[in-house]
Amino acid sequence: MNVFIVETDKTGLQKFYEEIIGKFETYAPVEKFGKYDYKRVSKLSECDPDSPIETTMSVKPLFFPKTAKVMKFTEDSSGTTVSETNDDPLTGKRVILGVKHCDARGLQVLDQVYKWDYVDTDYQKRRENTLIISTRCDKAGAQCFCTSLDYDVENSDAHDIRIVNGLDGKIYIQAITEKGSTFLQASGIQHPASVNDAVEEIKKHYQSFNASFRLKMNYTEVNAKLQNLFDSPDFETVSSNCISCNTCAFICPTCHCFKISDEKIKDTGVRYKSYDSCNNGYFTLMAGGHNPRPVKYRRWRQRAMHKFVYFKERFGVNLCVGCGHCAISCPVNISIFDVVNQVAKV
Amino acid sequence: MDYSKQIQEIASKLFADNKIDYFIGYKQNSFDDSQVPILISDPAEIPKLVFTDNSVFNLTNYLKPDHTKRKRVGLVVKGCDSRALNLLFTESQVKRENVYIIGICCEGVLNEKREKAQNCIECIMPDPVVYDEMLGTPSGKKEYTINVDIKELAEKSLTERADYFDAIFSNCIRCNACRHSCPLCYCAKCCIDQETSTLYNGANTSSGAMHALMTWSLHLAGRCVDCRNCEKACPSHLPLHLLHKQNESVIYENFQKHLAGIEKDDRGAFYKYSLSDPDDFIL
Repeated sequence: MNVFIVETDKTGLQKFYEEIIGKFETYAPVEKFGKYDYKRVSKLSECDPDSPIETTMSVKPLFFPKTAKVMKFTEDSSGTTVSETNDDPLTGKRVILGVKHCDARGLQVLDQVYKWDYVDTDYQKRRENTLIISTRCDKAGAQCFCTSLDYDVENSDAHDIRIVNGLDGKIYIQAITEKGSTFLQASGIQHPASVNDAVEEIKKHYQSFNASFRLKMNYTEVNAKLQNLFDSPDFETVSSNCISCNTCAFICPTCHCFKISDEKIKDTGVRYKSYDSCNNGYFTLMAGGHNPRPVKYRRWRQRAMHKFVYFKERFGVNLCVGCGHCAISCPVNISIFDVVNQVAKV
Repeated sequence: MDYSKQIQEIASKLFADNKIDYFIGYKQNSFDDSQVPILISDPAEIPKLVFTDNSVFNLTNYLKPDHTKRKRVGLVVKGCDSRALNLLFTESQVKRENVYIIGICCEGVLNEKREKAQNCIECIMPDPVVYDEMLGTPSGKKEYTINVDIKELAEKSLTERADYFDAIFSNCIRCNACRHSCPLCYCAKCCIDQETSTLYNGANTSSGAMHALMTWSLHLAGRCVDCRNCEKACPSHLPLHLLHKQNESVIYENFQKHLAGIEKDDRGAFYKYSLSDPDDFIL
């Protein structure tokens, strides 16, 4: 594939965004109550594709919605009839602006689950029909550690088009995938950059971004050590102030547990699939009344080990993408970075 | 407001005298101004304890058996937190002899913008109402004022208000962090978690969120002490205090100026019966 890079400036980028919003079904970070969430937009002024990572929710709900209809049912004297629900509102062709690199990587990780064993067709359709335009952060947030993990942030192929605010004041729009390349070439923005200079500038930008991280982890060592630390008493210490709410899992770009519940009025109802979290005390409660994870340190151990050990063992990629959303939103600021580092003692 | 030294001294004395098993306080985050709650069972960790304007969390939340296992606990409380303690005592959740309370005469804590928090500006009781040891100079009970946001909202039209609350409910992700961070939500099994019930909808829909939040706020009506732990915990930054402050103002008007937890043995507005109740709203 040819490297296709366009160079532009602030107004050029805004024009590019406006054109996309005018032509396609576009989702972008929209502010409400001081927090950005990805919503359908019809004007550029409604959204902010450069929203700060600290106050932006993950893009996960556009692929794995916080609630989705599974089926409808009606009961009458002859028994129960089950029927399909209406069309999924998220499966149309669409473009998402302002996706963070770590969030986009989160989708790649989720793909592993959704194409393994049972193939979730709704999820696959949403993925195929979506073009992801991602802006690389200029500076790392206080809780970010994406560069420390098992994926290459610099050459990430999790997004289709990448936007980099070069240190030289120019803005570079780079097509990463075939889909992105076709999209970019078809768009009105046509100022191909000199490839070598642009690549050099993008590299420079990455170096300055990489240098801005507060948190750095020795991933290989953490992963290797954690594998033998299931019985570590440190899990109890690190989770002592956890209040067992579900915030970390619900806003995590890669958590994918769900529960099934029915909304029923008289004889008709809808079955829903909604988020659930392993931090819930009743998450592992069984029909007979036994609960293998009744105390919070066991639930935290499951969370940490699943993110850093089990998923890697099964699928070869790390489940945690280092976005820091959980630590930012945690009511008591527990960071999974601190937890795994303190337990592994790296 | 900085009582870090005094708190550290008291905590080490309590551990030395074997009066407590746990001490609950605040610890400074290494990378910014914010603080996190810390549960100490080892006296070696005492130097980590701090108390400043950034000590926002209501630590009485950790008296739930999940965290401190009904053992003897020493903890730091501000005025609002101590009101929650009063309710926990009368509701038989915590035994008075099991807690050693360090009460702070609070001058108000800071919000995310580093300004004095709104609930601190409107605070009725900045001094601890129950304590074993008090730090600071008491400033006395303040006049009750109706919350500014409630007043502002009351002036809007019905449709505007409905839209506003719709936005709140549709932005709710139903993580239940509000419930888990509330010191007065201690039910072992919450009614909104009943998966098999058709009365409470477990689905993560906007109507489900409304159902859950309204039920939650009504269970706290007459008991909420306005510590705003719920609002600080909310990952969607929802203005949850609106629900509680509205309830509080209605109760203040109709239930003999009742304010939760200010007096010893307070049972919450709905659990108290008196022959002198006006009863004029009952047909």
